[in-house]
Amino acid sequence: MFCDEALDAVEAIAAGDLTPDGRIAEHLSSCPNCSAALVRARQLERVLQRRGVPQPPPQFTARTMARVRRARWRSDQFLDVGFNVAIILVVLAVFGGVWMLLNRSGLAAVSSDAADLFGSALVMLVRRVAPSLPLYVGAAALLASALGIWWWAERGAAV
Amino acid sequence: MEPVNERALVERCRSGDESAFQELVDRYKRLVFALIARTVQDRSRAEDLAQEVFLRVHRGLPYFRGEARLSTWIYRIVANVTVQDHSRPVPLSLDDGRTAPAIPSASDRQFGDFELRDRLEKAIARLPANYRLLIAAHYLDGVTYEDLAGALGLPLGTVKTQLYRAKQQLRRMLETDLK
Repeated sequence: MFCDEALDAVEAIAAGDLTPDGRIAEHLSSCPNCSAALVRARQLERVLQRRGVPQPPPQFTARTMARVRRARWRSDQFLDVGFNVAIILVVLAVFGGVWMLLNRSGLAAVSSDAADLFGSALVMLVRRVAPSLPLYVGAAALLASALGIWWWAERGAAV
Repeated sequence: MEPVNERALVERCRSGDESAFQELVDRYKRLVFALIARTVQDRSRAEDLAQEVFLRVHRGLPYFRGEARLSTWIYRIVANVTVQDHSRPVPLSLDDGRTAPAIPSASDRQFGDFELRDRLEKAIARLPANYRLLIAAHYLDGVTYEDLAGALGLPLGTVKTQLYRAKQQLRRMLETDLK
């Protein structure tokens, strides 16, 4: 029996996982270095067992839940943005496709006349609407404020 | 926690029940925080990492198949989070004011070994990350070798061997303090 072999077994003996058999027990009783190592290993074991257990702070659960909600909200926002971008891309693709179709089929010339007609109709509409424009602007501002408050309240609830 | 209750809790969490997840946090926070605070020492960092563990639990619950115990799965997440954190420089010292004020147990006071405990914490801080986690987890109530083996995905014998090696390193570092 060599010291190296006994020293390798010291921690297992100190932890109670290994009962020293005849050879190891004999060596440990006759070798001052190895027996001292066993004493130190046992002391270390005792100190480790008595080690204090750190406790979480009192607000830990509340703070964790707030962080979980924030993360979920961010993930939802990310999904929303992705969905909106996808919709915009689809709309652009549809418009691009229609435009190409009009160009290739020769309908573009017809559509430019239609655009002129639409433009003049729009000018007429603006002339009629102009006197009531402040009223429409006010209503639009009110609607925008209401939507803004709703969005803010939803965001607060999500966070 | 009993397996039936555990499954029911997981199912409630999966269905989006926020109170169920809060219950899960309440049940495991002591274990998770103690494990992390014993390995990183900086208390605010420990809280941050413990929250990170629960965030990962929340994200991962839909994919948790229930083949392992919930606690084993959470240990595994703790192990991943702490090992990833240890790729950062580790500021560890018990006397720099940033460390976790672990509550001394009655027996600590009785035996008056604060000095040795301080040196022990510093020595543990110098261990490799995997040894540090093993030492932190093994000496928590109710954590068995089998739990550790399951959490770390290691054979039982390897866990024991690594623990003995970790303690051997500690013993050598504390050679002059242990009598």
